[in-house]
Order: sequence, then structure tokens, then C-alpha cells
Amino acid sequence: MNSDAQLKRFVPSPARKPKDSEMTVLRWIRSRCFNSVGNSILTLLVLGLVFYVLDYALNWAVFDAVWHASNRRECMDISPGGACWAGVIDWFNGLMYGRYPIEEQWRVNLGVVLAVAWLLPLSCRSLAHRSLMLVSWIALYPFLGAWLFLGGGFGAETGPFHAILTSLAAGFMAMCYVNWLLAMLKRPSLTDIIYPLVARFVARQTHIFSLLLVWLVFSGVAGGLLSQVALAPVAIERWGGLFLTLIIASFAITMSIPIGVLLALGRRSKLPVIHWLCLLIIELVRAVPLITVLFMAVTLLPIFLPSDMELNKLSQVLCAVCLFAGAYMAENIRGGLQAIPRGQYEAAQTLGLGYWMTMLLIILPQALRLMIPNIMTSFISILKDTTLVSIIGLFDIMLMARNIANDKNWIGLHTEPLAMISILFFVMCYGMSQYSINLEKRLKVDR
Amino acid sequence: MMKKLMTVMAAGAAVILMQAAGASSAMAQENASTLEQVKQRGYLSCVIGNSFPGFYSLNKDGEWQGMDIDMCRGVAAAVFGDATKVKFMPVQWAQSFTTIKSGEGDMMSKGMTWTLSRDSSQGVDFLETYFYDGQGFMVRKDLGVKSVKDLKGATVCVLTGTSSELNLADYSRTHGLDLKTVVFDDSAVRNTAFFNDNCDALTNDKSGLAAQRSAAPNPADYVVLPETISKEALSFAVKQNDSEWANVVKWTFEAMVAAEEYGITSANVDDMRANSQSPVVRRILGVEGDLNVGLGLSKDWAYNIIKSVGNYGEIYERNVGPNSVLGLEREGTLNALWENGGMMYAKSFR
Repeated sequence: MNSDAQLKRFVPSPARKPKDSEMTVLRWIRSRCFNSVGNSILTLLVLGLVFYVLDYALNWAVFDAVWHASNRRECMDISPGGACWAGVIDWFNGLMYGRYPIEEQWRVNLGVVLAVAWLLPLSCRSLAHRSLMLVSWIALYPFLGAWLFLGGGFGAETGPFHAILTSLAAGFMAMCYVNWLLAMLKRPSLTDIIYPLVARFVARQTHIFSLLLVWLVFSGVAGGLLSQVALAPVAIERWGGLFLTLIIASFAITMSIPIGVLLALGRRSKLPVIHWLCLLIIELVRAVPLITVLFMAVTLLPIFLPSDMELNKLSQVLCAVCLFAGAYMAENIRGGLQAIPRGQYEAAQTLGLGYWMTMLLIILPQALRLMIPNIMTSFISILKDTTLVSIIGLFDIMLMARNIANDKNWIGLHTEPLAMISILFFVMCYGMSQYSINLEKRLKVDR
Repeated sequence: MMKKLMTVMAAGAAVILMQAAGASSAMAQENASTLEQVKQRGYLSCVIGNSFPGFYSLNKDGEWQGMDIDMCRGVAAAVFGDATKVKFMPVQWAQSFTTIKSGEGDMMSKGMTWTLSRDSSQGVDFLETYFYDGQGFMVRKDLGVKSVKDLKGATVCVLTGTSSELNLADYSRTHGLDLKTVVFDDSAVRNTAFFNDNCDALTNDKSGLAAQRSAAPNPADYVVLPETISKEALSFAVKQNDSEWANVVKWTFEAMVAAEEYGITSANVDDMRANSQSPVVRRILGVEGDLNVGLGLSKDWAYNIIKSVGNYGEIYERNVGPNSVLGLEREGTLNALWENGGMMYAKSFR
């Protein structure tokens, strides 16, 4: 018995060290790049090509480039063969903010910071109502942002309804931050603090009522404070540059998911009217190029509308882009829905869940998770598609870049701005794709 | 959550509709003259193009500048006494006429050539010509070409779908030049192709050629040939059948030219208004007479134009003249005053 166990015990022999010759870099290169005559020639060819391209690109973009000059002629005098980055630097503000007045540009920065800051508490996993925070960002932040970017007296130009929503938005954000702070200090949240108080008056759904109460108090204070602030009005025509590109893209991206989900569910619906309506919308929108829809929205709408009614171009474009992104997203999501086994639906029914509950709690979370790579691909293409709005005369980053070539100081300078935009878009799109990979890993899609 | 989301979206749609309805009821005056509408709205809405150096282009602070821009500012000054009360609407070529027809834009000043078909079938009225242009050719100096006639069999870079392309074909056929066209649909690409010697000549309106020449690696290497092969009368346009408004735009321009004829500039206009004894000058500047009444403008309308944007000569110098980016000489061209052999001739201020 004893000797048997000893016999069966596995003793791994120590791993053999690689021979010294196999470890060197040279050996590695030789075994992979120069292991036959054909491969050696290919390696040399590729190296030559890479060297040629890099040499040209680096010389143009870095070594011969001009960084300081007051106009393009000066650039050419200093270095005729190099890039003239001075023009791009000179127009940097224009590329970022379009025609937004310089002294008001801080509002754009603040708006972007607020948009990011709104989502920051999401990183704290112990915080309650985290999904509410995301929904509120989609539903409320646009009002706060619009007030910040448009300016004007609080509620004077955009109407009292807008003012109320702006206060609600500001109040919500303030409440989230206070709760976040309390959570970090390991204290009960504001809702929990006033819960006993509310419970005395309201018996049912006390939690929601106390949350609403806290929110309303915060909103009242926020509204009172905001009404004291007067911002200089900035017309929508002056919005532009990367700022406008981001507004259109983020609006389209956030709206594409709800629109897409509704259209996808509608297309799979058993009710014929809803089914055919959704099918029609999806197929119609997908069959027409975006640029056509944009042109139609801008050239035909003014003819149909009364002559003195002004629908600004931005809202026309936002509608068109959202519908477009939604139709594409619907098909992505439908793909995900089809991948869910029937058993899941049946199991949900067995539990007694209704249609919306089945979808929200069982089906959609799985379907969306499966479709992360496709959804992110759609997001990236939406971001890039927004540059098309330059064709209908919105001063997004593309049109601002083209205007550099017509500025009297930088006349004819069109390669450098485009190069700069390419780099910028690469960084943004690559960032998004890396985030999606990160998300996939975290949610363990490929279980 | 889905229901909440739908409620929020429905609320959003309702708000948009309410605002739209409010906007349309606030200014619902379909048949009022454009002048009345402009006055009521509080700003002039001026249709321009996306960018065209010397005529309308953005500077890095996001301000519009150029000859067309000054013309629109002049009209705003005449109506409001304030040249800043103007909103510029950059539109694509395809939208130009619909924007005017739909009443979205009050006037068009975007380097549009006055042609019969546009005047008669696009629902707009063309008014005064503020710049006489024409299609020309640019070649490399070392070709030694002195005239378009020497370009027999040459290749020419041209934008596709433009009147330049058609004019080029006409000209080549009439003079038996056998020109070969190389077409592009982007002016930046066309210019790069020309500067890289992919074609012998570049054709465009002469003002455009001047801009392209100034963007050349070395402008002195290129010459613009003397021939002008087409008529391009760049003119204002307004909505058809609105004489009251057409008069305002037309006489704004006349005032700019008249001011140059009588030596009124933005610098001396105050002095002229106070001290000039010339009856014409006094009438133009509204010191005597009641020329403003028929136009429906204030007494100092012409004074405001000249004070804020200057006379025609000043506008020309500032935007397209020899010291500007286009560097276009004015002497001896159609854009000179009639006294100097040009076509700029102000109608009588009486």
C-alpha cells in the first residue's frame, strides 16, 4: 500500500532551459524573418517600405514642420517641404469651440466637466440607485447643458419648463454628490436619514417618497441659486468645432439605445401594426444614405413650414441622426435578442413575469451584453458619421478645418488640419474600442 | 424603467412642439413685406456660402469677413442703424434659392452670378451687381504662355459641375483649342494637382484664381492670363415680387457707390454731414430732403451705412484690393467707378 502510493506519485522533472543560442534576439529574428530565401526578401521589402513611409511622414510632420509662424507664407519661407502646424495651433480654439465667443468658452469646458462629473459617482459600487444616475444623466443633463451653452436669463428665453428641469438636474447632481460623500464616510445616505420622518406620513413606497423629497429640496435650492446667475446668450449658430461634434455624437449615441431597443422589440412584436411600423421605419431609414436624410431635413423642411417659423438646423440634424443611429442599433439589438434561447422566455413566464419585466430583467441584459462589440462598432461609426453635418453647413470640426484653408492668413492650408483631425478621431475611436474590450472583460461576455 | 423613459421622451416631444407652436404664433405674418418682417425680427438674415476668400470667410475668432459680409452689414446698418444686427446663414449651393424662396433668408449675397435662368425660374429677383468677375486661366510662368490661344492641346484643371467647366468647353470649341479637361470635385484637390504640375493650366473665376495663386508655394512662378472668357456679374438676390424690400437692398448699394463718387468715406462722413455744402451730399446723408420716406428707413440710413462699413471703394480695398489676400487691382477693370472707365455708376439721389 505504502510502496504503491510512492510508485504512483508524479514527480515533474525540472523544465529544460532553452539553449543559449535560442534565446538571443538575433536567433529569434532569424528563425522568424529570415528562415528562407523568400521570407528574407519579403522582410527586406517590408522594412524598406516602412522606412520609406516613416522617413517621409516624420520629416513632413515633425522634423521639417513649422510650429511658430504668423501666416502660411512665413511657414513656406521657413520650410517649404514641412507641415505648417502653426496654422492649426492658431486656429486651435476655432477647431475646438467653433464660433463660440472666446470669453464664454469656459462654459463649454464647464459643461463637459459636469457631464463627466455626473457619471463619476457611478464608480462607487456601494451607492444606491446607480441605474437612476445613468437614466437621469440621459434625461436631465441635456437641460442643464443646454442652459449652460445657450445662456440667457434663467428661464427667460427658454421658458419656465426648461428652467424647472434645469433646477431638477442641478438638484439631482448635488444630491448624488452629497450621497456619494456620505457613502464614502460610511454614513447613511440622506434618503435613509429622512426615511423615519417620511414614514410617519406615508405608509406605502416610503423610500421613493423620501428620495423625491430630498431631490425636490435640493432642486429648490439649486433653482434659487441659478436664477441669480445671468449668462450672456450664445446663439446655436455660433456652436461649432469639436464641441458640436461631441454634442451631436453623444446625443445620437445615448438616444440610439432606447430608440433601437424599442424598434427591435417592435419588430419582433406579434401585433401586426407595431411590427410593420417598426419594420418600415428600420428598412426605410437604413435604405437611404445619411447625407440624403440630412439634405432633406434642411432643404425641404423650410418649404413645408410657415415662412417665419424657424426650426434651427441643429435640432433638425439631431432628429435625423438619432433616427438613423436608432435604426441601425435596432438591428444590432435584434441580433442579440435572437441569440437568447427560448428557455429563457419560458422560464421568465413560469416565474410570472409580464412582457416588459421579462424584457427588462431577463432578456435585454443578456442580449445587450452579447452585442457589446457590435454596439460599440455602431457607436464608433456614429461618431465618425457626425462629420457629415459639415456638408449642410453646421460648423463642426470638419467645416472649421476647411475654413482654415480660406482664412486670409492661412490660405490653402488644408492638409495639416485634416491630419490633425485624423489623429484626434483615431484617439477617440481607439479609446472607445478599448473601453468596450474592458467592458467585455468585466462583464465576462465569453463565459 | 421603459415606461418612465417613454414618459420622459413624450414630455420632451411635447416641449419641442409647444415651443415650435409658440414661435410660429408669435411671428405669424405671412404676407408682411420682408422689410417689416426684418424690422420686427430685429436682425437681418443674410444668405452666404460656406467659405470663399475675400468674399465671405471666417477668421480664427469665428467672425465673418469679406465683401459679401460687408454688403449685408451695410443693409443691416441701413435698416437698424447697427451693422451688427445681421445673422449670416452659410448654405450649400443647392439650398441657396430655397432659402430665399422660403423666407428663411432675407437676402442673398454669396457671389452668385446673375443669369437669365436663375432670374426667371428660381423665384428670386436679382438686384445690383456689386462685383464683375469672369473666368480666366492661370499657368506656370516658365511655360512662356502669353495668351489662352497659346494653350492649344493643353490639359486644364477644372471643377466638375460648375459653369466654369461648360464655359471651358464652349471656348475650346469656338477657338479650336482642343483643350483636355482634368476634372475634380474638390477645389483643394484641384489646386494641389495644378501645383504638382498634373495639368498645364487652372481655370476658375479670376477672383478665385487670385486666391489660389496667393496659396501657391511660390506665387511669382504663376501668371494669370489676360483673357476673360465668361461674364460673371456677382449680384444680390431677394425674394421675387417684393419691391419695397428690393429697394432697400438696391439703394444700400447705390449709397455705397454714390459715397465713393462724392468722396464720402467712413473717416470723413461726420465732417461731411456737419459741414458739406453740396446739395447731393446733404441729400445722401439725410441732412436735407426726405429721400428716406419712400424707402421706409430712418433719415440717417445712408450715413449709418457709410459710417459702419464705408463706401464701395473702401469695401473693395479692404477685402479684395491690392493689399488684401486676393490682391486684385481695381484700375482698368469693370469694378472701377464709371469716371475711371468702370461699370460702377450710382443712380441719382434725388
